[in-house]
Amino acid sequence: MAQPPENIPILELRNVSKNFALTAALSDISWRVKAGEVHAVVGENGAGKSTLIKIITGVHQPDSGEVLVEGKKVTIQNTQVAQQLGIAAIFQEPMVFPDLDVAENIFISHRKMGAVMNWRKLYADAELLIDRIGVTLDVRRAASGLTLAEQQTVEIARALSLNVKVLIMDEPTASLSAHEVDRLMAIVAALKERGVAVIYISHRLDEVFRIADRVTVLRDGRHISTNDVALVTETSMIKDMVGRAIDQFALKKVANDHGDKVLSVKNLGRENIYEDISFDLHRGEVLCFAGLIGSKRTDIGLALFGVQPAQAGTIEVGGVPSTITNPKEAMALGIAYVSEDRRKLGLAMTMPIFANASLPSLKKFLSHLGMIDHNAEYAMADNYRTQLAIRSPNVNIDVGKLSGGNQQKVMLAKWLETHPRILILDEPTRGVDVGAKAEVHNIIRDLAKQGVAVIVISSDLPEVLALADRILVMREGRQMGIFDIANASQENVMALATGQSKPRVAA
Amino acid sequence: MMLKSETQSWKTATFFFFKSWEGLLVIILAIILSANMFLVPQFLTLQNQINLFQLSNEKIIVALAMTFIIISAEIDLSVASVMGLSACAFAYLVQGGMPAGVAIVICLFVGAAAGAINAFWIAYIGIPSLVVTLAMLIGFRGLARVLLEDKGIGNFPEWVNALGRDGFIGPFPLAFIVFVILLIIFGITLHRTGFGRQVYVIGNNADVARYSGVNVVRIRSILFIMSGTVSALAGLFYAARLASVRGDAANGFELDIITMVLLGGVSIFGGKGSMLGVLLSILIVLNLRNGMALENITGHIQTAVIGILLISSVLIPNLIENLRISNPTKKKTISVSGE
Amino acid sequence: MMMILLRRLHPQTLRVLALALVLVLVILFFSSQIDNYFSPRMLNRIATSAAVILPIAIGQALVVITRNVDLSVGSLVGIVAYLIGDFLGKHQGLDPFSTLVLALSLGGICGAINGTLVAYGRVPSIIATLGTLALFRTFLVEYSGARTITTESLPPWIVEFPQAVLFSIGNFEVRAMVVIALVAALIFGLALSKLRLVRKLYAVGSNPDAAVMSGINSKRVVFMAFVLSGVLAGLSGLIFLAKFGNITVVAGLGFELKSIAAVVVGGVNIFGGSGTILGVLFGTILVDTIDNSLTRWAVVSEFWRDALLGMLILTAVAADTFMARSFVRMKRKNALKPKTLPPEIRNGK
Repeated sequence: MAQPPENIPILELRNVSKNFALTAALSDISWRVKAGEVHAVVGENGAGKSTLIKIITGVHQPDSGEVLVEGKKVTIQNTQVAQQLGIAAIFQEPMVFPDLDVAENIFISHRKMGAVMNWRKLYADAELLIDRIGVTLDVRRAASGLTLAEQQTVEIARALSLNVKVLIMDEPTASLSAHEVDRLMAIVAALKERGVAVIYISHRLDEVFRIADRVTVLRDGRHISTNDVALVTETSMIKDMVGRAIDQFALKKVANDHGDKVLSVKNLGRENIYEDISFDLHRGEVLCFAGLIGSKRTDIGLALFGVQPAQAGTIEVGGVPSTITNPKEAMALGIAYVSEDRRKLGLAMTMPIFANASLPSLKKFLSHLGMIDHNAEYAMADNYRTQLAIRSPNVNIDVGKLSGGNQQKVMLAKWLETHPRILILDEPTRGVDVGAKAEVHNIIRDLAKQGVAVIVISSDLPEVLALADRILVMREGRQMGIFDIANASQENVMALATGQSKPRVAA
Repeated sequence: MMLKSETQSWKTATFFFFKSWEGLLVIILAIILSANMFLVPQFLTLQNQINLFQLSNEKIIVALAMTFIIISAEIDLSVASVMGLSACAFAYLVQGGMPAGVAIVICLFVGAAAGAINAFWIAYIGIPSLVVTLAMLIGFRGLARVLLEDKGIGNFPEWVNALGRDGFIGPFPLAFIVFVILLIIFGITLHRTGFGRQVYVIGNNADVARYSGVNVVRIRSILFIMSGTVSALAGLFYAARLASVRGDAANGFELDIITMVLLGGVSIFGGKGSMLGVLLSILIVLNLRNGMALENITGHIQTAVIGILLISSVLIPNLIENLRISNPTKKKTISVSGE
Repeated sequence: MMMILLRRLHPQTLRVLALALVLVLVILFFSSQIDNYFSPRMLNRIATSAAVILPIAIGQALVVITRNVDLSVGSLVGIVAYLIGDFLGKHQGLDPFSTLVLALSLGGICGAINGTLVAYGRVPSIIATLGTLALFRTFLVEYSGARTITTESLPPWIVEFPQAVLFSIGNFEVRAMVVIALVAALIFGLALSKLRLVRKLYAVGSNPDAAVMSGINSKRVVFMAFVLSGVLAGLSGLIFLAKFGNITVVAGLGFELKSIAAVVVGGVNIFGGSGTILGVLFGTILVDTIDNSLTRWAVVSEFWRDALLGMLILTAVAADTFMARSFVRMKRKNALKPKTLPPEIRNGK
């Protein structure tokens, strides 16, 4: 691949601005990306990262300013043009065609392939590309059966096949296991070797330090800083992101005193998913489920909430043996489940905050004949707005217009209003910015203090260590062990989660 | 989404009303009414106003039920066939010597059963309502034809014909009174009750509803059984009004019914819409048809106008949005993480 | 044994095989019920009636693969049959080839209207085509002024065309009409597996967001699907005209339902993204076999046809749904077996 002269950036934005009626905008961004560098972009939600990507990939057009590729001014009207310019993007949710096989997924939009498909050549070329990435993947398999990591591989192969010069990766590791992250990092390094500029967007600062050469911080649609990674610290980066210093993770050293046993799970199992899960949960206790993606932690949450009932084992809630076959029964027992997927399972995005907040406890707001007492409902939601610091002028706003962190708080409000005895939080801070993350953590601690028994399912190990009284580690549907927080460390939890050490008896 | 009011203040609320879909409908209705009054002298007579409703009374009753179905992000294409089935079953039973009163009750149960069949496949098995009700559009119509083959059956008891023909309270026929009662009940149910709220949430995102403890299967079942029953009732009114039934009774009515609902601002993707909008669009469609009929425009052209209205009710908001946003590709919903 | 078969075969292939089996069973059933079922007459009757439906079923499949639906095809068949018949009545000298081109273009233009509304106007296809279903039919009614096209007004070549026999297999005469429909199926079957442009139909239906992000012009692809559906409806219209000769304004009424039945029964996923022309061919034959056999079956009234057609569609979709679910379950079972990563991946290279 021909390299442009050293001093000409492969991609440059000059004074780019973009305004929307409702969502985050970009103002006056000037920014350069060099060939062969991994350039991380960080910032809180709403900082303008997504808008930036959309402008580079031609999904949006800037209102003013110019975009230059290899020193030449370009107008990227749509994604096809971006592709021709050698710009490709890989998103957190991989963009594959489930009904097509791997090879066709890679080459579907290729002009070079000609009008008539030559299937044999297609498979051979695809195999070559997949080999070059350094993984094994049957190119004849339908994409519907691929894991997320495999789907990402397909996307990377697609980008490579297009001789991509600028590859944007938007939160590529959000749903990957540790192994898969390692593999992805290796691929990124290889791309860099080939002179590809990788724009790497991530909430995980450790990853930024691990692979990025330079890092750019955006805040409120403005370009705050661009530095060599060697010259910044985590603290300075966070300060740039939020505009103030934050004591991010106060490590919890001592477990809370906790009260009576509210939940007792014994030998829980579901065919082919998980088996032999046993634990107790007490009033005022925070129990964290740690493990890699795919370790079936969420499935335990779904079983306790009755969405996907367990097939074996017993559940005792407050000392009473209970069978939970649907969410309604779970709620009647005082169990609440805050899903990891806000968009698909958590909130009705085009409905206002108050309607979302009252949904699970709607019965409370019904007067005679099933009429909704709107005033009471509204007052309740508004109360949570102040209590949880939901940043919104009132509770009439559609939740879809809020940032990720505020949406997460609406989810919490919705379930707190059911006054649960047992609150299950599934990845409560995924896609939530640093500032809001600390706030969510504080809310969780307060709840525990008030006597709620909390289960937190999280892939974020620092978060687990900051919140938990006890940690249950899972791996591939099996319970590997339970730690008291006093005995837990990043290393011993990880060793169990990855299977490097043997399962241990509950502490 | 720009059209929606975001503030509680009444002053701005009235301002937004005229920028909202309902506001637009009021304006369109006003234009049609004035045009009709200007063009057709007998337009404002009571008899014409009653006629205007009477000719479409069955459709507008079903439109009320359809509003619930579409807000819950489903569709029921089988309503006209259920109307036909109920009308044919009534004719068949009465001809077989059954008292009309008993036949009416049985026909309502037939409608509920038809709705329950839809509900079973849609709510319990999980097959999309578009496919199920399309199959049942054919299936129920087929059953109606099985009952009457190619005969036309009339000779209903005189009181049945009278119900369809004459005023029940004053000059208002029973079907019209039933429409008004259902409008009030359905309007309150949709906008003021917990059930209505749950219907909106299901239309917005059924998984969110399920994860919030809403019994989605039950609510969907209720809606389709309700739709079937209401359609059967409408079919009976149709039979009574025409005093004779053939196998193709009410054939193709689903087009008009769905048009009324969508023109009323109910989103085909669910979760959005109001009874007020549907009422306004019913008035628009009826007055338009009535005006055209009085101007001696044939039924087929009227159907074409309805077809154009149906397409425009979705196309025009889209075009306006396109104009507002310089680049049309922008609106594409692409889920990009982060924001 | 069954498991090996299930794992080896692509689910689509399996689906077509199951359909073929059902078709054989249905034929065997009716042959035991109806005297002289395997007569050339019966076969011809089924074949010619399927020949009218097959092109619109193919067109419907193309549209359904992109996650849309075309409810206007019945009205399109009516328009093309009537207008071409009318035109031939006035221009007796028009040769068969020009007539074909004319019919296909007329269908294509109408299809383009649908395509524009759906792809560029962003009107959901069910609404757009429900509207044009009414509009096209109204146009036909108004244009015709209740006149009927009769065989007498048509040039002789088209009147004789339905009887044209290309070759015979035993007693069964293969009519030119049937061959034309099959050729259309062959062309589109090949196009769907070979042409990159046409493969994009699957891509768009399979994941519309991904299609946009990978640089596919989804709007153009959806537009193309509707135009092709219109063109194929044009072909159906012409075959319809030739077959019946006498055309009224109700020509093709309800064909949209038959085409959807054929497509759904033929295993095209109603959610888009998958389906084969071979499946559609079997689906069409099955629907028409049942349809034509019922009229000859003494046990039940022929009025049961529609009721049974409705049940057939539902059964097919239900079967697909259950198959898909058990397939997913099976896959999960296999996926759970602990996989050891190859060393080169484990070490991050």
